Amino acid sequence: MKKFREVAVVGVGLHPWGVFPDRSMREMAVEAITEALADAKMEWREIESMVSGGYLWVSQREGMFGILSGTAISSAMGGIGIPITSCANACATGGAIFREAYLAVASGLHDTAIAVAADKSAGGFFRPQSEDKEFDLDYIRYVMTGETNPAYWAMECVRRMNDIGTTEDDLAMVKVITSKVAPANPKTRYKKAFSKEQVLESPMVCTPLHLLEICATSDGAGAVILCDAEKARKYTDKPVLVDAAAIGSPTFGDHTIPLTYLSAYPRPGVGILTESRNAIAAVYKMSGRKPEDIDIIELPDNSSWHYFAYLDCMLQAQDGEAEKLLRSGKVDPVDGDLPVCPSGGLGACGEAVVAQGLFQIYELVKQLRGEAGERQVKNNPKVGLAQTYGYAGNNAACILSKAW
Amino acid sequence: MAKKQVPIIEGLFTWPSDKPQLIASRCKKCGTVMFPKTAFCANPDCEKSRENVEVVNLSNKGKLWTWTIQNYAPPAPFRKEPFEPYGIGMIDTEEGLRVLGILTTYDNLKLGMTMEMTTGKLYEDDENEYITWMWKPVA
Repeated sequence: MKKFREVAVVGVGLHPWGVFPDRSMREMAVEAITEALADAKMEWREIESMVSGGYLWVSQREGMFGILSGTAISSAMGGIGIPITSCANACATGGAIFREAYLAVASGLHDTAIAVAADKSAGGFFRPQSEDKEFDLDYIRYVMTGETNPAYWAMECVRRMNDIGTTEDDLAMVKVITSKVAPANPKTRYKKAFSKEQVLESPMVCTPLHLLEICATSDGAGAVILCDAEKARKYTDKPVLVDAAAIGSPTFGDHTIPLTYLSAYPRPGVGILTESRNAIAAVYKMSGRKPEDIDIIELPDNSSWHYFAYLDCMLQAQDGEAEKLLRSGKVDPVDGDLPVCPSGGLGACGEAVVAQGLFQIYELVKQLRGEAGERQVKNNPKVGLAQTYGYAGNNAACILSKAW
Repeated sequence: MAKKQVPIIEGLFTWPSDKPQLIASRCKKCGTVMFPKTAFCANPDCEKSRENVEVVNLSNKGKLWTWTIQNYAPPAPFRKEPFEPYGIGMIDTEEGLRVLGILTTYDNLKLGMTMEMTTGKLYEDDENEYITWMWKPVA
């Protein structure tokens, strides 16, 4: 795969995750951008291009179309006339806009770019945004089958338990292990560690997934500033290189029925989560790295099922390796040889849909720099991998590494 | 007098019918089956011609691939009144399609068991009962 010039992350910022009914998405984005600019010791006017995540809840909140989100955020910062693209790749939007901002700099077109996204997703089960009985598959699926997001995840989880023997204890231990670090992350929403008993005693939402095994929906905003690597030292002593940034989409014949769809036509040898496996294959190919090179992982633990499915996917391991890794303690978020979700993961923060990928990138950058405080991982990581999972077969992944 | 049974959305399954079936599309060139009906074949290697795609009614038998129980009421626009927890499953039909649907029961289910398509009421008003397709275990 052709690589252009090297690109570094020089600044990251997050508005904390939570529920903020008195704040607009724009002002949350401004806070995230301001923190990222301060982190990079950069002025707003030094930003040459911007990619924004389109607000998801356009019909319910703020009365503004997703396509206007980029310019709405820039006008809240003060317009500087730069090119702005808004992107709506569902929950994988954060990773997708990171890739687009990367390309803007890697191509040589711009020396700096910012990826920024804000979302106010808090409020329970997701639901369709139109009432189009003719063409909106999401509406048709939802009213005719009553399939919620957790119901879909639970169905995949039941299949995994049947096929490879994942246990209810394994599912509960995902929350126990990832929530250990939650109290140490000032950006998360749920700053609480849970015991296995607490997880198993929480309400059963969609069998076999309990409430504490499913991520909540949250409000939040993130910003990541990218720069030509040769100029990065002007802004930071610790530039984090973008080894790879990729978007994945599904392959025909995928064995699962992704959310929004009513059916699948499984073809032999194709398997599930092709969009995710395609994105991972792309970042390994682009970076020249291998799974054994990865020191730290942020994965999309939308549910305990995701944790296992994505750990296998991201390490390109056989199905079922993830459960063994969890049981062995190797993926403990702080003490592990391969820390997974040292941020506390989606379990601790809830998902602010289009901003979530930036939350993960923020964490990788802080960990690689050694700036993660109490939750700093112990294995001196040099290479990090993040992946986000999205509605309707959207996916994005990236590999970042220390450049000093 | 019994209320009239009306599909919540028309055109997804044959109705009225003693033996309702899902209405799908099949590609005459490569055999790919798609639900709901589509204008074009979804196989990336197949020609995108409307003439290649025909309407087929799916077999009303299938095997249970996986399932769950939705224990909490989803928000509107989904309606199931009065709300009771319900099963949802993915069913593999004889045509090779994997399709979603509410289950008539969540008791005594086993992966791989044979399921039969039926219909069931989700809510009603003064005139009609509003129905969708459902899958029930074959004894």
